[in-house]
Amino acid sequence: MSSPEFSHRKRPWFSGHSLLAFWIPGMILVGVIVLALLVIAIPVLRNPEYLASAAADPVVFQAFLVTFLAGFCAVGILALLGTPLAYALSRSESPYKGLVETLVDIPLVLPHTVAGLMVYLLFMSRGVLGAPLGELGLVFEDAFPGIVAAMVFVSIPYYVNAVREGFGRVPVQLENVARSLGASRIRMFLSVPLPLTTRHILYGALLAWGRAIGEFAAVIMIAYFPVVISTLIYYRFNTGGIAESQAIAFLLILLCLVLFFIFRFLTRRAGVYDDRS
Amino acid sequence: MMIGVDSVSLKRGTFSLMGVSLEVPEKSYTVLMGPSGAGKTLLLETIGGFHTISEGKITIDGQDVSLYPPEMRGIGFVYQDYSLFPHLTVEENISFGLKMKRVPSAERKETVHTLLSSFSLLPLSERYTGSLSGGEKQRVALARALATRPSALLLDEPFSALDPDTRSSCMDEVKALQREYGLTILQVSHDREEAYRLADQVVVMDRGVVLQSGLPATVFSRPGHRTVASIAGYENVLEGTTGPADGEGTPFIVGGVAIIVHGSFPVYTSCLACIRANDISLSRTDIPRNGSLNIIEGQVVSLIATDQGTRLRFDGPFPLIIEIPRHIWPDRGYQPGEKVRVSIAPEDVHLIPLAGEHVNGVVRS
Repeated sequence: MSSPEFSHRKRPWFSGHSLLAFWIPGMILVGVIVLALLVIAIPVLRNPEYLASAAADPVVFQAFLVTFLAGFCAVGILALLGTPLAYALSRSESPYKGLVETLVDIPLVLPHTVAGLMVYLLFMSRGVLGAPLGELGLVFEDAFPGIVAAMVFVSIPYYVNAVREGFGRVPVQLENVARSLGASRIRMFLSVPLPLTTRHILYGALLAWGRAIGEFAAVIMIAYFPVVISTLIYYRFNTGGIAESQAIAFLLILLCLVLFFIFRFLTRRAGVYDDRS
Repeated sequence: MMIGVDSVSLKRGTFSLMGVSLEVPEKSYTVLMGPSGAGKTLLLETIGGFHTISEGKITIDGQDVSLYPPEMRGIGFVYQDYSLFPHLTVEENISFGLKMKRVPSAERKETVHTLLSSFSLLPLSERYTGSLSGGEKQRVALARALATRPSALLLDEPFSALDPDTRSSCMDEVKALQREYGLTILQVSHDREEAYRLADQVVVMDRGVVLQSGLPATVFSRPGHRTVASIAGYENVLEGTTGPADGEGTPFIVGGVAIIVHGSFPVYTSCLACIRANDISLSRTDIPRNGSLNIIEGQVVSLIATDQGTRLRFDGPFPLIIEIPRHIWPDRGYQPGEKVRVSIAPEDVHLIPLAGEHVNGVVRS
């Protein structure tokens, strides 16, 4: 049994138990993020009139609305189409699975302008998908659906990879038991792996939404209008100067932080099933 | 429900089931044994419908169900770790199958309540399964599997994660359930005691093929294959050749000496001699020979204390493992390096002709 003096003794920082050797290089990265936030926040807070004018500007408000709404639509489409794809990838034993995985990852490695070009060529009014969908009344060029299409395209790998990892953690034995108890494959999917992957689905949705609302190059190539927030910041940077664009950027950061915080708070218990905690 | 597996083959990665055949009679308890990696769980999952077979067929009461999905086979499945749904409470776990089969809510509640009560799970009904003990988890898994009233249960080492006391009482419970519900059970096990206690039939497989099947006592006393001998508890398996028989029996030549074996075997045939460690007697070399057959001299290599007594490694013309019961050991006190004499009764040696090792019920030539 250890004595009280021993148990209260402080470990020296250089002992093998310290994480300092890992924290030091890691904090360089964290420091860069904090610095980047400060260079936006300090000038804005010093001249709050720019912030007030940006907050009251109906164009800014509309750009936020369009961006966030388009982001939610993109996440909705990803949830509907990406969740089954993630499950199929996590369970498939096909030799072609690697090929599909590579295709899913392509938007991750492409320059955003190339992704924008692809989206434009696909969804423009004479595009492979744009032309037939245009006949059905769905227009993408300089329209809200174009923004959503660009956001979906660039966010696919973020959502699919996060959710696929979640499905991969569900033991296949649980699914086998559910089938033996009378569940068809679809009912088994809805009753066992889907609820057990809630946490990864939410995390994937958050990643995809964050990536979607931040997209600039791919969005402006298909839809300069209606203006999304990243387009507006770039426009104001060129026409109104740094101070004007800084104020909008600060608002965006603030809103995102609040939304991320609310999201994490609301989902902190999602996917946790334990009487003891 | 009678389950038939007829020449079933399938490949999973680098492992294959090759022409597996076995029959699980209705309302019987069959224990499937074999070393790790033998393909026992894969066979169980294949019967359950989780893998597509490439050859052969699986029948239930004579009907070919090879292409049926798992939900249409009506077979319950319990895994070694019980695979309880962690996002559902005990009650929800048990009612899962009834919900999937769209049993009306009132009937569902009644069935679940009956099962909770008979498995002593009522106080745990609202608990999530993550914090249950091994025995509680097993009861939930069995209640869940039985809720949909399957005629057959496939159990993958259901007792291996339990402590000895719980294990023993759970075995009794499962055997009682089998009788009460008239279940056909196929269970994977590594444990001979489980097979003796539960099984009407034992099937031994290795490397994707069935080696031997039959009554537990028959399979364990008359193994037809080296792997079966090992599973049957024969610690000593010696490879040698038979000589010409005389009045006393058949000589089996191993390590340059002849051991007399009961029964007649073809002359000059390569065989495996299987001898249990506790069937070998040990004495000091200064004690006069009593004239009995199969007396071999050598020395003690090492000694290990066990629950039953002492396990001794002997080296002479061939190495042997000898078990000395606890009640004999204190009077003897052997030491490593000591010269000793072992004697083996001819009736305690079981010979397996190597050319006749049975695989899938067919003699390998």
